[in-house]
Amino acid sequence: MNPAPGDAPATSVPAVELRGVWKRFPGVVANAGAHLTVRAGTVHAVLGENGAGKSTLMNVLSGVYRPDEGEVRIDGVARQFRSPADALAAGVGMVHQEFRLVPSFTVAENVVLGAAERIVRRQAVESAVAELAERFGLATEPDRPVWQLSMGERQRVEILKALWRDARILILDEPTAVLTPGEADELGRILRHMAEDDRTVIFISHKLHEVTGFCDEATVLRGGETVAASLPVAETDSSALAGLMVGSSPVISERPTPVAAGGPMLTVVGLACLDDRGLPALHEVDLTVRAGEIVGIAGVAGNGQRELAQAVAGLRPTTGGSVHIDGIDLTAATPHQRFGAGLGYIPEDRMGVGLAPRLSVTDNAILRTYSSHRRGPFLDTEAATAHCRDIVDRFAVRTGPLDQPIAGLSGGNLQRLLVGRELSDRPRVVVAAQPTRGLDVQGVKAIQDLLVAERGVGVAILLISEDLDELLTLADRLLVMHGGRVVAEFDPEAAGRHDIGEAMVGNASTGVAAT
Amino acid sequence: MRRPVLARRDQVLRGGQPLAFAVGLAVALVVGVLLLMGSGHDPLRVYGRMFDASLGDPRAWSVTLNRAVPLGLAGLAVAVAGSMGLWNIGAEGQIMAGAIGAAWVARIGAGWPGPVLVTAMLAAAVVGGGLLALGPAIARARIGVNEIITTLMLNEVAIRLVQWLIHGRWKDPGSHNFPLAPMLPANGRLPTLFERAHVGVVLAGIVIALFGLAASRTAWGYELRVAGSSGATARYAGISLKRKILTVLVLSGGVAGFAGGVELAGTADRITEGLSNGFGFAGIIVAALALMRPSGVAAVALLFGAVQIGGQSIQTMGVSSSVSTILQALILFGAIAAGVLSRYRIEMVAGDTVGATASGDGS
Repeated sequence: MNPAPGDAPATSVPAVELRGVWKRFPGVVANAGAHLTVRAGTVHAVLGENGAGKSTLMNVLSGVYRPDEGEVRIDGVARQFRSPADALAAGVGMVHQEFRLVPSFTVAENVVLGAAERIVRRQAVESAVAELAERFGLATEPDRPVWQLSMGERQRVEILKALWRDARILILDEPTAVLTPGEADELGRILRHMAEDDRTVIFISHKLHEVTGFCDEATVLRGGETVAASLPVAETDSSALAGLMVGSSPVISERPTPVAAGGPMLTVVGLACLDDRGLPALHEVDLTVRAGEIVGIAGVAGNGQRELAQAVAGLRPTTGGSVHIDGIDLTAATPHQRFGAGLGYIPEDRMGVGLAPRLSVTDNAILRTYSSHRRGPFLDTEAATAHCRDIVDRFAVRTGPLDQPIAGLSGGNLQRLLVGRELSDRPRVVVAAQPTRGLDVQGVKAIQDLLVAERGVGVAILLISEDLDELLTLADRLLVMHGGRVVAEFDPEAAGRHDIGEAMVGNASTGVAAT
Repeated sequence: MRRPVLARRDQVLRGGQPLAFAVGLAVALVVGVLLLMGSGHDPLRVYGRMFDASLGDPRAWSVTLNRAVPLGLAGLAVAVAGSMGLWNIGAEGQIMAGAIGAAWVARIGAGWPGPVLVTAMLAAAVVGGGLLALGPAIARARIGVNEIITTLMLNEVAIRLVQWLIHGRWKDPGSHNFPLAPMLPANGRLPTLFERAHVGVVLAGIVIALFGLAASRTAWGYELRVAGSSGATARYAGISLKRKILTVLVLSGGVAGFAGGVELAGTADRITEGLSNGFGFAGIIVAALALMRPSGVAAVALLFGAVQIGGQSIQTMGVSSSVSTILQALILFGAIAAGVLSRYRIEMVAGDTVGATASGDGS
């Protein structure tokens, strides 16, 4: 029934075919006519930076979202899934980034939960689960409660859940994000095993070495569109993939004229910190941003950029090194003190870090300055509203009543509010992490113009972005991070895209070593 | 075939909560009718009696208000913690701890002038409730121990402590060896306001209004809102989450303790093991229905007070007082169900559940 694995003839029916998929959310187009074809019995990588539309496309395939337009075909049959259960009935199972397990239940109980006969004999289920696990080489103990398991083991339980429901097509959404390197290798072996069993695996990632390690083909998404479909991984090198991910369609076509840079404003020396799992994320990072200069940080996601931004902003404890602003040592300062010293921070996570979702526009606008809008113990509502009104007017935030929750604002206006707030108090240094990610073209332009204008008045800007075009257009100097280190420095006007791509995957033979 | 499904509204319906509450009340009354008819009572007569006894005349109002006081203060205690996303399930025990503090002051200050003694008793009640919440607060702030578990378990401790006191060193010598604490001295009781209502009604109103003001108008309340909305945003804004958790939980306990002191000095007149009377648990329902807002707490507490007093009054008609407990529960369920509709709307969709548009099974 199914085509043979591996060297299937080109005429065979693909296991998955997505055609012309559009999905829009308020203010954001997540998928703009994306397409994807996956041959049965292969491990297929779906690559793209955050916000490229990978997760949305997979949610369409697995029945979480209904596409605005487009077609989903499974084994050649057009389908319209209303729910993940529908998709599962058609053989499509998804392992999400956040696990959906009951911690107090055993592995076996989690696997059969919701899919078991009414009366379950514990031993029968446990041995059936053990048998299934063994068939696919998934080391697990069916009678262990899930709360005792490591992240890698929990992920195997999620995979078992999909296999138990007889998923022929398995989607894994950034499965290695929570895994240690050893566990990631183990996962690769399991996925190969499943492909040999004639199942189809779709592997979402932005880590190139994993893709080249155990995937057969790769499809690259950028800005909601498919920019490369079903590339044979064996014949493609990773720097070419990196180049495809970061794209080549500039939003700002001209480089704004640089201004004469002043003295060093932000100085980072030997900075080191740990990631969320407690593993080293930054190794002795040195960098300097001068007044009136934009320094860009490029790199494949997960190479320490996020941790660098957080450590400079004071939201992540450091394990070594120092951070100075205009000669003042802020290594031990709180986020609030750093703001007071002239550091504006545009965090990568807008909602939930930069903005408080349930609070009003005014409450969010005064987040950094509320302690100055006071009259005794009371908040000076008039001053707060005036401050908010000022930000809304100056930064052209389109908003409803200021006392209403910000949840109703579009993505672009939320970011204008956040950026406006960080710039409103005349900062001397701005750390901008992914400031334009996920915004529509107009929103991107507005935020980029604001950053350029700040540089014009002598602000030092550290711009971390996954959009290489944005960096090449805006940055005065470009640093490339790999494995938690700054591995190369480029002059954006002279640098070749290929050389930057090589540096991003760790082949920093070109460029000026910065450390 | 078409079937209804729940679809998320793009924006939460404004004014949805009072509406949901009204729907919940209506549902509860309708189901109550069936319940009463099923047990052989005339629903209209029963409801009429409940209304007369709770809201029919000034005297009825005074009794209802007295009942609303501990409900409202306990509800406020839960709402104080809830405004930061914390759950204080220990108001029941904190009420007892507050009553112990007040009763202890009454024992040593029997000779003091009334206003001094009453003020000292209420202050001791706040300290007592706050002390019982201090352990869970430190554990939560320092090492993240779930406050739901710790506050809940301390309820038992506080109630056993009262039992130990009234069976032992606080037993009234004149009680013919019954395990009863002595009555409060006359100068340790709250003055009367009107009919049966005591000054605690005013005090509770002031405390609820003060917290409402602090939460909505002060920088402290603003920090609380930010911390309750997102812990990461609070850190970004320079707010110390640990300190906030500590103060909020202790304050929550203090408010519940205050409820115990007021109940002792206003209504109970002696400390008994039944003094907290489920107010601490009812307070959770009150706060939940009020969406953790002080103004809502006052309104819901008044309604629950009326339902409870009305429920007691119909026992003389041969109706179990459990009817009022059932009504309270039904109001909660009805309001929660209706509250869902302020976030979701019902949409009719075409009926098939499996989404194959082409015939065939994919072979």
